[in-house]
Amino acid sequence: MTRYLIMLVWLLTVCVPKLNAQSVDADLLKIKQRMDVIEQFTANLKLDVDISFINMPTKHAVMTCEKGKPTKFSSDDFVMIPKRGLDFTLNKLFEYPFITVDRGTETRNGKLYKVINVIPTDKRADFSIATLLLDTVNLRITESEINTKKDGTYILAMKYENEEMILPNRVEVSFEIEQMKIPLNFVGKGTDIDRKKMHGEGMKTGKIFLQMSNYRIKLRKAN
Amino acid sequence: MKSLIIAEISKLFKQSKTYYALGCLFLIEAIVLFSAYYQGSSIIDILLDNLKKTFYLKGNLLNGNLLVYLILNMLWFHLPLILMIIISGSLTSEYRDRTIQTIMLQPVSKWKFILSKYIVAVGFTIMVVLLMAITAFVLSYGIFGKGDLVVYLNTLNFFESNDAFHRLQLAFVSGTLSMVFFSVVSLTIAVIFKEATKTWIIAAFFLIFSNVLLKVEFDNYLLDRLFFAKLNDTWQYFFYSRIEWQIIYQNSVLLILYTLLFMGTGVYLFHKKDIG
Repeated sequence: MTRYLIMLVWLLTVCVPKLNAQSVDADLLKIKQRMDVIEQFTANLKLDVDISFINMPTKHAVMTCEKGKPTKFSSDDFVMIPKRGLDFTLNKLFEYPFITVDRGTETRNGKLYKVINVIPTDKRADFSIATLLLDTVNLRITESEINTKKDGTYILAMKYENEEMILPNRVEVSFEIEQMKIPLNFVGKGTDIDRKKMHGEGMKTGKIFLQMSNYRIKLRKAN
Repeated sequence: MKSLIIAEISKLFKQSKTYYALGCLFLIEAIVLFSAYYQGSSIIDILLDNLKKTFYLKGNLLNGNLLVYLILNMLWFHLPLILMIIISGSLTSEYRDRTIQTIMLQPVSKWKFILSKYIVAVGFTIMVVLLMAITAFVLSYGIFGKGDLVVYLNTLNFFESNDAFHRLQLAFVSGTLSMVFFSVVSLTIAVIFKEATKTWIIAAFFLIFSNVLLKVEFDNYLLDRLFFAKLNDTWQYFFYSRIEWQIIYQNSVLLILYTLLFMGTGVYLFHKKDIG
């Protein structure tokens, strides 16, 4: 009995931490380390919406992203910013402990990318699973599919200006959105309408094309 | 003819009911503006309800442009109703006070007399709509500022502030044609019925009838595209993402033709009828 107990204690104290330590992909850790250097960045943003039931002209905004703080936007226009998709430094993804699962490789435009799943191990994380396509040569993420707990699934395809650039200059954000139906004569007393009836028109896939320019990146000072 | 028109303008602006009516219109506009402000927030809430799940929304949509658009939606019933009362009253009061008989004793052509009333009615309507537009823009922009306009017409259409201002101006121009049509119709009704109360009842019925039929889908090309009642929301075409100019031109020409038809009928009937 004592022998089994010793073996159990050995398993829990020696083997499990080792398993945990090995469960985060090494390439992802390298990318994370590269991203962690970014303390803050500001960029000009150009947004184009592609949603079947929305007609919106091209919009412009300025985004400011600071580590540990919510991303800020400023614009003279009315802008719609996707809830996920502008977290280029993946702060939200790496906010709580997680494990990764290697899913092999995939080819995009003739280039080979490593595919991994990121699974949070903390209940506070706002996503259940994320699939990342890693560019292991240039140490950056090319594509991500994030399954959030509340806001549905977001697919992000990122393009970079050059091989050195750590932050993308073009991002295509795909998401699911519920199409709505509003009574034609909603102006007037029609504002008192049954909101449940407005929905149920089915889910539609929408896209937002983001174009970033004039990046001003503030890096962490070396100790 | 010129002196007849000047006399008609003078009569219109000398009667106190014109100013009462104008006062009522501006009061309605102010009420509509403030009710639109309170309604506007719930409309935006409804429009953007499911977008909030996916997006962070940045910017103010409850602005002067949305309020002018809401005023436009509500104005096109109240405005013609009061215009019809003033315009038709300009003839029915002449019958009631028997001043028309005095005028007809002068060397005045009957058709020129009634045509001058129609011309003044058209001019007065244009002036009132212009005043309403100016006050709507000044009050809305002055109090609520500028910003993007969101409109729901089967799809959610967003317009940048300057584009929205341009479209709202065009909508007022298009709406003026409808207002002129209703004013002309009310004068023709006055020619037929002569008596004020009957004229107002029929004119109000005509307006309500047109508004009801506007919302009815006949599933018939001729009725849906060419019937006069269907032409009175042409101004809404300016709030589609892509402006359908062909439909707007077609509807506007048709509405002008209907207006001329009602005017021609009124002139003909007045010319043929005995004064008394």
